[in-house]
Amino acid sequence: MIFSGEFLIFMLLALIAVMGGVLMINLTKVVHMVVALVFTFVSIAGIFVLLSAEFIAAVQILIYSGAVTIIMLFGIMLTRHNDESEPKTGRLRKILLFLGVLGFGVVFYIGVYNVDFPQAANTLHENNTEQIGIALYSKYIIPFELTSVILLVALIGAIVLAKRDDQEEADKE
Amino acid sequence: MSTVPISAYLTLALVLFCIGLFGALTKRNTVIVLISIELMLNAVNINLVAFSKLGMAPSIDGQVFALFAIAVAAAEAAVGLAILIALYRNRKSVNIDEFNTLKN
Amino acid sequence: MMENAWIIPLFPLLSFLFLIVFGKRLRAVSAYIGIFLTFASFIISLLVLIARFGSPTYKAEGIWLTIGDYQLTAGYEVNQLNALMLVIVSLVSFLVHMYSKGYMHGDGRISVFYAYLGLFTFAMLGLVLSPNLLQTYIFWELVGLGSFLLIGFYFYKEEAKAAAKKAFIMTRIGDVGLFIGMILLFWQVGSFEYDEIFAAVSAGMISEQMITLIALLIFIGAVGKSGQFPLHTWLPDAMEGPTPVSALIHAATMVAAGVYLVASMFPLFAASETAMMTIAIIGAFTAIFAASIGIVQKDIKRVLAYSTVSQLGFMMLALGSAGYVAGVFHLMTHAFFKALLFLAAGSVIHAVHTQDIEKMGGLWKKLRVTGPLFLIGTLAISGVPLLSGFFSKDEILVSTWVHGHTFLFWLAVVAAFFTAFYMFRLFFMVFTGEARGKTANVKESPGVMVIPMLILAVLAIGAGYVNTPWFGTFLGDWLTEGNQALGHGHVEGPAWIMVVATAVSLLGILLAWLMYGKKTIARDWFSAGVPTVYGILANKYYIDEFYKMTIVKGTTAFSRILHFIEVIVVEGIMKMVAGIISGLSKLGSRFQSGQVQTYGTVAFLGLAILVIFFAVTGGYLK
Repeated sequence: MIFSGEFLIFMLLALIAVMGGVLMINLTKVVHMVVALVFTFVSIAGIFVLLSAEFIAAVQILIYSGAVTIIMLFGIMLTRHNDESEPKTGRLRKILLFLGVLGFGVVFYIGVYNVDFPQAANTLHENNTEQIGIALYSKYIIPFELTSVILLVALIGAIVLAKRDDQEEADKE
Repeated sequence: MSTVPISAYLTLALVLFCIGLFGALTKRNTVIVLISIELMLNAVNINLVAFSKLGMAPSIDGQVFALFAIAVAAAEAAVGLAILIALYRNRKSVNIDEFNTLKN
Repeated sequence: MMENAWIIPLFPLLSFLFLIVFGKRLRAVSAYIGIFLTFASFIISLLVLIARFGSPTYKAEGIWLTIGDYQLTAGYEVNQLNALMLVIVSLVSFLVHMYSKGYMHGDGRISVFYAYLGLFTFAMLGLVLSPNLLQTYIFWELVGLGSFLLIGFYFYKEEAKAAAKKAFIMTRIGDVGLFIGMILLFWQVGSFEYDEIFAAVSAGMISEQMITLIALLIFIGAVGKSGQFPLHTWLPDAMEGPTPVSALIHAATMVAAGVYLVASMFPLFAASETAMMTIAIIGAFTAIFAASIGIVQKDIKRVLAYSTVSQLGFMMLALGSAGYVAGVFHLMTHAFFKALLFLAAGSVIHAVHTQDIEKMGGLWKKLRVTGPLFLIGTLAISGVPLLSGFFSKDEILVSTWVHGHTFLFWLAVVAAFFTAFYMFRLFFMVFTGEARGKTANVKESPGVMVIPMLILAVLAIGAGYVNTPWFGTFLGDWLTEGNQALGHGHVEGPAWIMVVATAVSLLGILLAWLMYGKKTIARDWFSAGVPTVYGILANKYYIDEFYKMTIVKGTTAFSRILHFIEVIVVEGIMKMVAGIISGLSKLGSRFQSGQVQTYGTVAFLGLAILVIFFAVTGGYLK
């Protein structure tokens, strides 16, 4: 393994990402958790850059660090939180789950830790955004359009679900 | 060429996925559960993009897929939050262990 | 005509089915239906008998079941014995049907009564027609069912219920013997057909010991049905049924079935000296045993019941002494005079509404028709010369003597003396002397009850003349015609036997007259003189008590143990299993908490275990 600059950057980004995740698990306040996760999202964007996916990195920052995090913060603020720590019950489940996740992770780690493919030449880093654009509008035009439908459905669905039911409110009063 | 082997990216994705899984299954707060699911999706995205560059046949397809995954994840986050708001209006709580109407 | 013999049992069956379905609506009319249908079956039986005189045995069979290579057949057979029995059964059944019209008049469940009578008659006629043992067994059980239903007809009376159960269980004990014997026979011969069984027996295919065993087992069945000692106790109790039913059971159907079985299996029994000896001893013992009980009974129907047991003992004695003709002959004559006696007794009960002979008396003048008819029956059963019972009883005594059973012969003579004595005791107590109890407004029974008695009286007098040593042994010759195994048509015996038989019956009558008619001998000299013996007799040798002490108590104790095992062991295990299951279910239901995260955890843990398992076992972790 060569300690190149690329590798150092990767290690740094990976460290931040994992740190953010671990913090998310262990912090007590909900807002703090979300903020910890922002670190993870941003460093994942950095990983994308390392993988010659600049456009995805930009989208990652826009959608995750921006939109999703903000949505979640809105969600937190719109609802009431007692901000208390986890209840004592379910400790057994936590331990079991931890062991399960650990075993699952170990097995898969054994599976992936020496995966190595012969490196083929690629041109992903050249005009990355243009390549994605061409692929999206030619090869993947139908999935792309379907995605827009999904987004529209999600938009309408979210509005319908979150909208205050006037009828119900009227009944209550 | 890249000096970071693909296994490093895959391991990072695995670790993040496991953290997300653990969080999704243990956290009481529904918002955190949703965010943990986002984290799991992100881990998958890392895999997609890593294979796109360092896989057997590098191509742009992996990145396009990651893009779709992000779009769907964003939609999911929006709908999930809307459901959460609706639930909160009914139950006055966001604790997932109080949403147990599946029992009946 | 014989090819139509299968129709005979169908009439009573039709009566049964029809009355069961429509009886409620028909009510009193149902009696006419029953009478008409049994009359039809009697007429055909008579025609079959007449046809049988001129032609050989007719047998028709069809394949019923095919089991492997073996073909089980079902059909019917008309041989001499069958034809004779058909007439006896259908005639007595018809007369009882007719009599019941008067006797059961006004009973709310008369249609049910007639339906049961139809079933009973159907079962007995079917039994008689059966050409193989399996079919016999089926109808044998149906006869048992019919008797159960009829004895328990007054099911609201505790005694009737108990009597019905007793009859069913006691005969069932015998049936087990019959069943085992039947299976053994099938194992040895490979067929249920009477013909093939007899052929196998005469060909010596079965070992001597096996024949004896089978014969004894089948005899146990006959013992149960025919009320022989030691399974006789149900028969007197069966008196709880309506009187016409008693007549039917005692004369033609139920108890005759046992004798009929032995008679129809006669070649098998004849092949085993031990079995024959056993039958003869049981028969003779039952004859004297029941007769001695009959002496002291106070219930008119019970006296008759014990006399039936005793007379059946005579029949068994005859069969056991190779007197096939004598046994069947006595079965026939007994059917007539016992039916007559029961119907007459029913008529008396109908008139005075009691069964206790101590409360009767002086009825001769009031029942001008029943009295003489009862006297005819009494004379016949006592063996007074020139009546039917005389000839058949004489035939039995001759058979016994000729066969060499000297001791059993004298036992039978004593039993005949007892018979004459207790029957006339009954007669004198009921019909002579002063009226005891309420006999003020006694009326003679209606014509519909009298006519059957008249017919039976004629037969009780005349039926003996078909087989007499004086005018020819027509019946015996005919019955044994073409079948060497059944013995000779008539057994010649010393003439003094007839004199002895006459003498003992007249002596018995004389003694009864002295004690109960003229009263020159005090009535209680016996009961006062030897109270112990009297007590034993009055309590029927304590057989019922003995059974209660041993079998019933034993069974109860055994049941208690089983019940204990049931409660502790079986239910314990059951409860444990149920507890484990319900505990597991409760544990399982705790997963059903509605918590999505718990579901997810369980699902994921399962996945993790699977992944680890396959990673380890799949050789993936090197």
